[in-house]
This record gives sequence, C-alpha cells and structure tokens, in this order.
Amino acid sequence: MLTAKFTLGFALLLAGTMVSFGQGNASAKAQEAKLIAVLKSDASRKEKADACRELALIASADAVPVLAGMLADEQLTHMARYAMETIPGSAVDDAFRAALGTLQGRPLVGVIGSIGVRRDAKAVQPLSGLLRNADAEVAQATARALGSIGNAEAAKALNDALANVPAANQVAFCEGLFRCAESLEARGERKQAMGIYDKLRALPSAPQQVRAGALRGAVLARGNDGVSLLVDAIRGSDFVLVAAAARTAMEIPGAALTKALADELPKQTADKQILLIQTLGKRADAGALPALFNLGRTAAGPVRIAAIRDLPEIGHASAVPVLVELLWNADRAVAETARTCLAGFPGPEASSAVAALLTKGTVEQRLVAMELVSRRRMNESIPTLRQAASDEDARIRAAALKRLGELGGLSELPALLGLLSKASSPDDLSAIEDSLSALCARVADAEATSSQLIAQLSPAKPAQKAALLRVLVTAGGPKSLEAVRSSIKDPKPEVRAAAVEALNSWTTPEAAPDLLALAKTAGSPSEKQLGLRGYLRWAADGEVPPPRRLEMCREAAGLVERTEEKRMLLAALGGINQPGALSLILDYLDDGAVREEACVAAVTVAERMGQGRTPRKLTAEQIAGLEKAAQVTQNAELARRARAVAAAAR
Amino acid sequence: MRKQTSPLGVKGSLAKTSLTRRQFLKRASVAGAALAMPCIIPGSALGLNGAVPPSERIVFGGIGIGGRGTGVLRWMLPERDIQFVAVCDAKKSAREAVKKVADNHYGNQDCKTYRDIREFLALRTDIDAVLIATGDRWHALASILAMRAGKDVYSEKPSSMTIAEGQAVVATAKRYGRVYQTGTQRLSEENFVFCIEMARQGRLGKVHTTYAHIAPWDAAEMKHDWLPAEPEPPKDEVDWDQWLGPCPWRPYNQAYARGGWRGYYDFHTSCIGEWGAHTFAQAQAGIDCLNTSATEYHYVNNPTGDEMVTVFPNGVKMILSRGDKWWRGSCGMRFDGPEGWVAAADGYSRPDVSSPKLLADFRKIVADYMARTQRPMSHVRDFFDCVKSRRQPVANPVVMHRSMSTVHAANICMWLKRDMKYDPVKEEFVGDVEANRLRSRAMREPWII
Repeated sequence: MLTAKFTLGFALLLAGTMVSFGQGNASAKAQEAKLIAVLKSDASRKEKADACRELALIASADAVPVLAGMLADEQLTHMARYAMETIPGSAVDDAFRAALGTLQGRPLVGVIGSIGVRRDAKAVQPLSGLLRNADAEVAQATARALGSIGNAEAAKALNDALANVPAANQVAFCEGLFRCAESLEARGERKQAMGIYDKLRALPSAPQQVRAGALRGAVLARGNDGVSLLVDAIRGSDFVLVAAAARTAMEIPGAALTKALADELPKQTADKQILLIQTLGKRADAGALPALFNLGRTAAGPVRIAAIRDLPEIGHASAVPVLVELLWNADRAVAETARTCLAGFPGPEASSAVAALLTKGTVEQRLVAMELVSRRRMNESIPTLRQAASDEDARIRAAALKRLGELGGLSELPALLGLLSKASSPDDLSAIEDSLSALCARVADAEATSSQLIAQLSPAKPAQKAALLRVLVTAGGPKSLEAVRSSIKDPKPEVRAAAVEALNSWTTPEAAPDLLALAKTAGSPSEKQLGLRGYLRWAADGEVPPPRRLEMCREAAGLVERTEEKRMLLAALGGINQPGALSLILDYLDDGAVREEACVAAVTVAERMGQGRTPRKLTAEQIAGLEKAAQVTQNAELARRARAVAAAAR
Repeated sequence: MRKQTSPLGVKGSLAKTSLTRRQFLKRASVAGAALAMPCIIPGSALGLNGAVPPSERIVFGGIGIGGRGTGVLRWMLPERDIQFVAVCDAKKSAREAVKKVADNHYGNQDCKTYRDIREFLALRTDIDAVLIATGDRWHALASILAMRAGKDVYSEKPSSMTIAEGQAVVATAKRYGRVYQTGTQRLSEENFVFCIEMARQGRLGKVHTTYAHIAPWDAAEMKHDWLPAEPEPPKDEVDWDQWLGPCPWRPYNQAYARGGWRGYYDFHTSCIGEWGAHTFAQAQAGIDCLNTSATEYHYVNNPTGDEMVTVFPNGVKMILSRGDKWWRGSCGMRFDGPEGWVAAADGYSRPDVSSPKLLADFRKIVADYMARTQRPMSHVRDFFDCVKSRRQPVANPVVMHRSMSTVHAANICMWLKRDMKYDPVKEEFVGDVEANRLRSRAMREPWII
C-alpha cells in the first residue's frame, strides 16, 4: 500500500476543480495504475471517489479486484460500481455475481442494479433466488435486473415468482416482465412476448398502468392480428383500456385499423367517440374521412367539433367542400371551427374554394371569404379585393379595404390613394386610411411609400390631407417627417391639427427637435403643450442616449410650467444616472407640487450612480440636496434611503 | 380496495383491480378527453362557459418545485381543468412554499406535502399527472418513477443527465403508455414555431445552418470539488440522501440545495445542457431532425463550446453560440438558407428576418401549424390536452431524448477535447471507447432504475 503522503499528493492532482478527461491511450495504462494505487492507499473518501470517476473512463480488468473489494464498503460501494459498470469484459460480471452472495442491504441493491445495466445472462440463476428476498428493495431491484437481462430464463424466473409476489413488489415484477417481453420481441420471439403481455393483462389486482401497458404490448406483439384485441378494448367498459387502446392505435399504421376504428365510431358513446376521433386525426389516414364527414355534419356539439378539427390534420382535398358547407351552419361554434379549419387547411383546393366564394357568393359569404383570403394569405385574390373596394355595398367595401391593407404590397398603393382622393363619406375615408396604414406598416420600402403619399398631399382636400399625414407616421422616414413638418404651418386648422398629432405620434426620436420648436413657437397654447409633452416623452425614452436625454431635459426645464409637465420632466431625469440630472432634480425639492416626485427621482439617480464598477462621486451640493430630500419627503423609507446614499457618498 | 405495505412501510392503495366508468372519470386522466372538453373544444360548445366540474379535472401534483418550478406551476394553476393537490420535495422550505402558492390559489389548505418521493408515488394513486422541476440530476429518475407509478409527466429541462437516462425515459413512457412533455416551451411559442415552420417549409431555401444558444455564464468544463462539510440538517428539513438521489455522495453543504449545484459534473449538464436544453429542440425541429441527433461534433478549444459545429444526418450544421451574435437576448436560435434567414429569442415582438417580406405570412404560418397539428400556443395546455387525448405532446420523450443526446454528445466532445462521430441509430460514438463509456453513469443505490 502506498503511503498516505504519496497518495495525497497524487489525489490532489485528480481532485482539481475541473475535470480532465481524455488522457490518451498511451498514458491510460499508467494512469490506471496510479488510480488503482490511490484506491489501495489510505486516501480520503473524496480522493477515492475521484479516482473511481476517472477509472470509469479508462479502467480495464486490472482494476476489477480492487474495485470489487470496495463493494461491501457502504461509503464507497457506489463509486466502485461507478468505475466498474463501464469496464468491458467478463471480469466485472464475475465480480458482481460473486458479490451477490456476500452483500446485503443497499450495497446488494446497487450491485443487482449494475448487473441489470450490464445484462449479464449468467446472473439469472443467482438473481432468481433473490426475487423472494425479504428486503423489498432487493427483491424489486432483482426483478428489474432480470427484466433488463430479458432472456427466456429470466422471464421464466419472474413468471414463476409472480403468483406469490407481495403487493408492494408487484409493480417492480411487472416492470421486469415488461422488459423481458420487449427483449424477447426484439429478438423475434413474439409468441413468448405475447404470453407475457397476456399474463400481465390477466393479472388480478394489477394497477392501471400495468394493464394499460400490457394491452399495448399484447396488441403490438400480435401485429395485424392485434386489431381485434384493440377494438375489443375500445368496446369495453374499462376506460383505462379504452385510453390505452387509443394511445396504441397511434403507433400502428395501416388502413385496416383505420377502418376498424372508423366503423366503431357510430357505435360508441360520445366520450369514446371523441377519443377515437382524436386518434383518427393523429393517424392522418384519409380512410377515416367518410366517418368524420358524417359526424361533422350530423353529430352533437363536442363530437361534431372534434370531427371537424380532424379535417386539416388529415389534410385531404375531399374535406374542403365539407368545410365550405359547414361555414354557413346555424351552430356558431360549428361555423367558427369550420372557418378556422379552412383558414389553415393545406393545399390549393382550399384556396380555390375560397376564391370561388369571393366572386360568386352572397354578401355574407363574400365577407367570410375575404377574411379567409387574408388568413390564407391568398395574394392571387388581390385583384378581386381591389374590385370589391369599390363595391356598392358598404360592408363589402370596408372589408375589402381592410384585407387589401393586410395583403397588398407597394403595387396596391396607387389604387388605394386613388380611392382616397375620391372618398366622400367619413366611413370610407377612415377605412381607406386604415388600409393605407396597414399596408405601409408592412412594406419595408419607406422611401417608396412616402414618396407616393407625399405626392398626393398637395392636391388633396383637407380631410384627405389629414388622413395622409396620419398615414405618413406609419410610413416613417426623413421625407415623411419633412412633409409633416411643413404641414404644421398649413392654414387649414384640420390639416394643422393632423400634422401636430402626427408629430406627436412619430415613432423615432428624429421628431424631437420639431416637437421642441412646437413647444416654443406654436401659435396656440394647446399646440405648445402637445409639443412639450411629446418632447418630454422622448427625453424619457431609453433608446435615446443618456447624454442627449439630459440635454433635452435641460431644454425642457425652461419651458415646463404645469405640474403634469414637471412630473414628466422628473420622470425623465429619474432615468438618467448622471450628475447633471441629479443637480437638475434637486432644484425641484422646493416645489411643493412635485416635491415627492423630486425626492424619489433624486434618491433613485443617486443610488444608481453609486453602483456599478466605477461608481460616480457626488458633489457636496448633491449630498446636501439628498440630506434635504431626507428631511422634506413624507415617505419614511425614502428618507432612510436618502440618508443612506448621502452617508455613503460622504 | 386492498391496502398494502410499501417498501417504506407506508400504507397505501397500491393496486386497483377494475374501474367502473364513473370511478375512472373521477380518477384517470383520460376522463378529460371524454367530458372536460374546454381544453379541446371551446367551452361555449358545451354550454359550460369554460367551467370544468371537479370530478373531471386532472388531479395534479408536483415533485421538486423550486423557483423555476413555481413559475411553471403559476402558469399551470389557472388552467381550469386541473386541481393541484400535493407536492413532494426533499426540502421542507420548498414544499411548504409550494403548498402556500397552491392553497392561496384555491383559497383552502388542501395541498398535501411529502418528503419522500417513493411514499408520495405509492400513496397518491389519485394523482394523474405530475410537474417535475428538480435539478438536472433528478429529472429523468423522477420521471421514470412517476410514469412507472402510472402518472403522466411534465418535466422541466434539462431532462436527462446522460444518454442512457434519456433512453430509459423513452422506454418507460412507451411501456406504460404515459404522456410525457419536457419543458421546452419555446416549441409552443409562436415566434419560435414561425421560425421552425419557415425552415421546414423551405421558405428560406434548403436550410444549411442553424444556430442554437448555449448559456452565456457557465462553462463546459465541470467542477469536482466538494464544498466544506456542514452538519446535516434533520431529514425533515433537508433529506440529503434523497436530494443527492442517484448522484455520488458528497457531504452536505447548504449551498448545493440553494441552487449552488450548477457547474458540478455530478449535478449539472454544463453551459451546453443549461441552455442547449432550451434551444436544441427548436433547432432540430426546423431541420426535421427531432427523431435523431447530430452525428458530428467538432471540438473547439475554448472553455464553453462556443462556436462548436455539429452536423446532422441530413448534412445541416448546427452551431452552438454563446453570445448575441445571431440574436438579441436569451435562448436564441436562427436558421440560415440560401433565400434568407430567420431568428428568434425571448422577448421578441416578432422574429428577426433577413427581409421583412418573410414576415408577411407570420399569422398564416402559425395558424396553419395550429390547424394542422391541433396544438395550442401554450406548452402546458398542450400537455394537459394530451393527458386527455393520449396523444404525444410536442416535446414528447423522443424529442427530449434526441435533443438531449445532442447536448450530451457535445459535452462529451468538450470533455474529451476531440472531434466525435455519433451513430444516432445505434446510439453510440463511432470508434471511441472512452466516449461510449460516458454515455451512462452508475446510479447510487437505492436510486437505481
């Protein structure tokens, strides 16, 4: 045995904080010898555990004797197995088998488990005797290990013991038999597998999962002959087996089973029908469609809905006319389900059916068809929609415009702008504006859309011009902004108001200088107010760099008068973790209307300035300001925080 | 009903013989498929206005619900057809916190608490489904134990520690016909679904590269040190043996149980697993590789796996990316094709695209997906719907296992510091004995499967 000193030195190498696998074959043998030496030494539990972990990767039969000697050691038995389980060759199996007769309790349970992992066929006989062990954990582990070995001999041992198995061990024994049946079937021994499954099916007092698994196995092992067994289960009154049969049916392809399940549909109660319908949908076999069509047309609520929902999952074109027929069903849930299914139905046949409705249907049908055109993204129907946008029926016009906005591209813009110029009713105007906005939001080429929109501005009537200005917000880009900017001075109040609204709704900070100019120079107080508030919103926007936001706050500080605006200013400043922001905030501590807001903003900014890798120092004035905030705030917690941050700064 | 003694000596109803239909409706989850239609059919169709009678709710429980789990639970509780009745946790403070959340939600004191998972599963035969949100080390084992006990499972991610654990989850779910969903909720969020569908439908041309985010704070290299031993608290406060579960023993230190387990080889799946479990499934979905794993892993000589190139059987590359190069924000992914690219990450109002035209069909693409699959844009709702219909959820065991196999193989590539080839059919590394030995880890007794 090595000395403790030598061993400790080596083990420290092993027990570094990071694993170091993959030593290479050349050194593996030498490494194994060193690790074995650790195990033979008086090294610590940790050192030996580390050695075992490394041995799991590289050990050979040379390591087996020392590892086998550790199996009875309750502290090291697991790590010994950890190393042994992966060692190739029979030496490990011999050692595990030998240990069966010498161990008990947890070490024995572990060794039995490892024998199962290694599927040592020679262990069947010694294991068989342990099936009746008084220690339930030992008996259960044995049953599972025999199952993993999974040969006929193991199956016989489990079978023989099953009749007298204590209830507490029953599931483990069943597990063992399941494993045996799976192995036997994989080896082509189907009859033996079937025998096991049938025995488990007939087992008195078996828990539901065992009966479900046994049915599955029995059906699958029988191949085509299993269909009748599956159908019998569906016809039965045990819902565990009904569910297991449905689940199993999803694993078996073929028209015969589809037909059998479809034939059962009319004979079953509603709850079983739904389960069967969902199973047929998952099987995606068109052979089920006639039965599903029938239920989709005639069944009561939930069954009917389930049958309809299967149709796109199966995806056969013959279902399209059925779905179209159901679109007009008086039952709203049926009609809505059919609409959803038609919207997502795969293939061109569904699109053709929708296109036909769009051109030949009644008003109601055309409205539904237009929705489906959009949901199916039927770009080929855009010309029809364009025509419908001038339809004499207002509902058709509105729907067509909406769908044009959702589907149309740049090429639709001239037509929509033409409609805008001619629109006379407010409803039409509003629908066209919405359509234009939707289209502009989707078309990536802002330059092209804005150019076309701007070209229409000059000749447009005021109402149209106002609508165009609002659409320009969606189009975006510098040209659009310039057009909006120019319209701020439009003599028509309606146009000017729309321009102010557009500026205020602008989606990028490029509008901020215009908003500031509006706040400073607008003719009316309300426009000034709108400009200032819009400007302050950008001053608080996280997408604008903090130094620029601080600059904006300084600009705005000279303009704010109303309490609401002061609050907006303080909110903006509260998000800027810079000394300049803090100084600006502290100016408002004397303003009774916003004192509390100023205290919150000041403490927040000061705390954040003190955080991070490079905390910023506070000036003496700022510290004094925070102390003042602590005094004037009504919020005790805030006062505490103010004092704390001031104290920390000092 | 027979009362039996469990291995723990607890009395419980371990076996049920046969159920009458009504009994079943009260207990088993499939009842929902029959009557609790609002999740599958609009409530208005039933005249229930969305209400679900108590007897038709999914009886629901929790295992290991911490911070993330509580977030998911709060997401689940408003679903009208579930009733959360019990929580199991090795930590008293955690189980009591969850009880408080549930009791506050229902306005009663009915949520029961359990320390021992075996006792919880043995006693609560009334529970149909469980939310599992333990740390990485317990996700697979708890899922297997729960499914073996007849529960359907919603498991938080990363859902396995090794390739072998993932295989066991797949096998168990099949064996007992259980519904299992891993918590890769972005598979049910419209921005990510849109990107996946754009890639799958060829709207970007044939996608040649996808990018998936890995955690920007952790490393691929793992820690093995033990924190200083502290006195073990009473079992009722923290059951340390159970907390460790299948992992190698180490002395108690409260930091582990407070979230400090991350970064340790025994407990964590590295920065690759930490976020690969959030992103790989979406990337694999977009390239139609949800039923396979990457076959090539190219080692990168950095501590994190950043820029590692993996290659799938169809030739598409998936590149692991740590930073914000391909997106803004967390859990990003991107698909590149000859005709454009799409990318999404958390918090996007809409995906980023190479041309705005690619977004024109956003609504249609998402709606088509929903109609074609009958899946909602809610991951938890998808799970509850499937509990009732017995369909496979979007993040079913195979999806979990195959995407997590990519995670594990990428980790092994980083740990062995060499390029790897992986055979996703045989589920083994090609010609690399050491790598194959890292596909599993012996589980600590008695937490063996």
